Amino acid sequence: MNLIDLRDVYKIYNEGYENEVRALNGVSLEIGRGEFVSIVGASGSGKSTLMNILGCLDIPTYGTYYLDGQDVGEMTDAQLSRIRNKEVGFIFQGFNLIPELNAYENVELPLIYRGLSAGQRHEMVMEALARVGLTERARHRPSEMSGGQQQRVAIARAISTQPPIIMADEPTGALDSKTGEHVLEILKGLHQSGTTVILITHNSALADASERIISISDGVIIDDRLTRGAAV
Amino acid sequence: MRLNVRQGFKMAFKSIINNKVRSILTMLGIIIGVAAVVILVSIVRGSNQKLREFYESMGTNKINVSAYQYNGDDITQELYDFCMGLKTLVVGVTPNSSYYGPIKYLTKSTDSNQEYGQPITYLGSDLYSTCNNYTLAGGRDICWLDVKNYNQVVVLGAKLKELLFDYKNPIGEKITIGGQKFEVIGVYEAKGGSGNWYVDYMCVVPYSMSRLLNKTTSMTEFTVKAKNAAATTEAITRITGFLEGQIDSNAGFFNVWTENTWMESSDEQNKMMSLVLGGIAGISLLVGGIGIMNIMLVTVRERTREIGIRKAIGGSRRSILVQFLIESAVICATGGIIGILLGYLGTLVAGKLLLDMVLLPSVPMTIGAFLFSVVLGISFGMYPAVKASGLQPVEALRAD
Repeated sequence: MNLIDLRDVYKIYNEGYENEVRALNGVSLEIGRGEFVSIVGASGSGKSTLMNILGCLDIPTYGTYYLDGQDVGEMTDAQLSRIRNKEVGFIFQGFNLIPELNAYENVELPLIYRGLSAGQRHEMVMEALARVGLTERARHRPSEMSGGQQQRVAIARAISTQPPIIMADEPTGALDSKTGEHVLEILKGLHQSGTTVILITHNSALADASERIISISDGVIIDDRLTRGAAV
Repeated sequence: MRLNVRQGFKMAFKSIINNKVRSILTMLGIIIGVAAVVILVSIVRGSNQKLREFYESMGTNKINVSAYQYNGDDITQELYDFCMGLKTLVVGVTPNSSYYGPIKYLTKSTDSNQEYGQPITYLGSDLYSTCNNYTLAGGRDICWLDVKNYNQVVVLGAKLKELLFDYKNPIGEKITIGGQKFEVIGVYEAKGGSGNWYVDYMCVVPYSMSRLLNKTTSMTEFTVKAKNAAATTEAITRITGFLEGQIDSNAGFFNVWTENTWMESSDEQNKMMSLVLGGIAGISLLVGGIGIMNIMLVTVRERTREIGIRKAIGGSRRSILVQFLIESAVICATGGIIGILLGYLGTLVAGKLLLDMVLLPSVPMTIGAFLFSVVLGISFGMYPAVKASGLQPVEALRAD
């Protein structure tokens, strides 16, 4: 059984009205455990909507989504939040850190929602910060850090719970190429340690770093191929 | 995912401290409301207490008797004997007649005193002090023989003694009342306090001196002191019965009443006053509560993105709800505590200025005000919190 199994999924806004938008127009997709997948497409192609649905931030208008064999459409709010907490780690283009909290507290937040003790949290936060090389920045607030450092805090937050899936939406979009490369290295490292990585980007060079590229346009998948780097 | 309450408090405090100015402005409504409730209710309670003390110093369980006969016959001795016969009900009886005029000692005279005016000279029996709650500070009280033998003696109230003698011992000195010499035999303790000084600006002479001061031997007003509230009612019935037998309704009239009912009605009035003022202050609390709701709504709007982030990393609807509820409850409770402290301070100051007494709010009311502000925070925080928790993560993340 695949980790992610999307069957004929539609996401339609303002359905039946003149301004109807079909962000996803019948998408079926399977992603296995441990894959490194890129989803590419122009802006407005529906790739962010696809990620939101894959990450349980949004629910499909039609179609079913099985995550690890469970039907996401049947889940309650509490179950969905548990999935977002345990199964998926998000890395956003705009970092999405909480500005009032310092790096440590931002990384700690998902662990608090998981209900772990302060001792357990401390260990996991420091481990995550060490993996992105920001141990000495733990007490700095986002406003006191560079874009690259902020994105590394966001990555630390995503990996602190050790989720089986990492979803990154244009993680290098707001960074210069050098720091972008650094972020990509971290993602590659995560993939090598067995994490399923889903990368959403319009940057084909970035996509080439993954094993599989899914191209999306106007809400449908137009291409799904393995890259040269993929171990078949 | 579950969010424990301790974490909720930590987050709430963090967010309050991070938005200091906004938090303080939000609290202001609650602070003013709680302080107003505490101060107003305390002042009403204080003035009530003051009034009660005044009535008590005047003497509770007092029965006033007026008996008048057209032919001028005096009933004093008969009434005195009858009342003192009611041993289980009555502790004292005295005529309640007075003379109003200047009192002189050597060169000092109450005539020259602009501030206090003329003191009152009461014409009393040996039980005058018992009936009117005076206690001796020095010397001796009037006795039955003074009345019987027409002794020209006087017992001074504390204020009058102070005015005529300062710190000098007045016992044995002679003062002049209405042109007659009286020997000072005793002094009463002050009972009025600085607010009610006039109850001590008096003196008592045997009622037989009425002959000299008021040129009459007939007494028409009496005060009977009953043992307690129940005895008061019983004694009124007995005395009324006695007077019906003594005074023919064609030859005179009489009236028997008590001031206990005044006190009861003033208690009623004070309760009303507490309710009205408490209500007004309560309205200001309500306005403060609406202020909380307003700010929390703004907060939710401002923090939509934060809510989105929290949801994306595993914050459930419930944990967001709890977070915002705790936040508004903590703001209100903090405001409540500050309001209570200010209320204590305000009560002390107002008590000193308005009532000249050390006034403190009652503990149950303080606890009540605190709990009320917490409840206010939770109830007015509920709508914004529900709104925040109901946000869809994608929509919330899209917000600026």
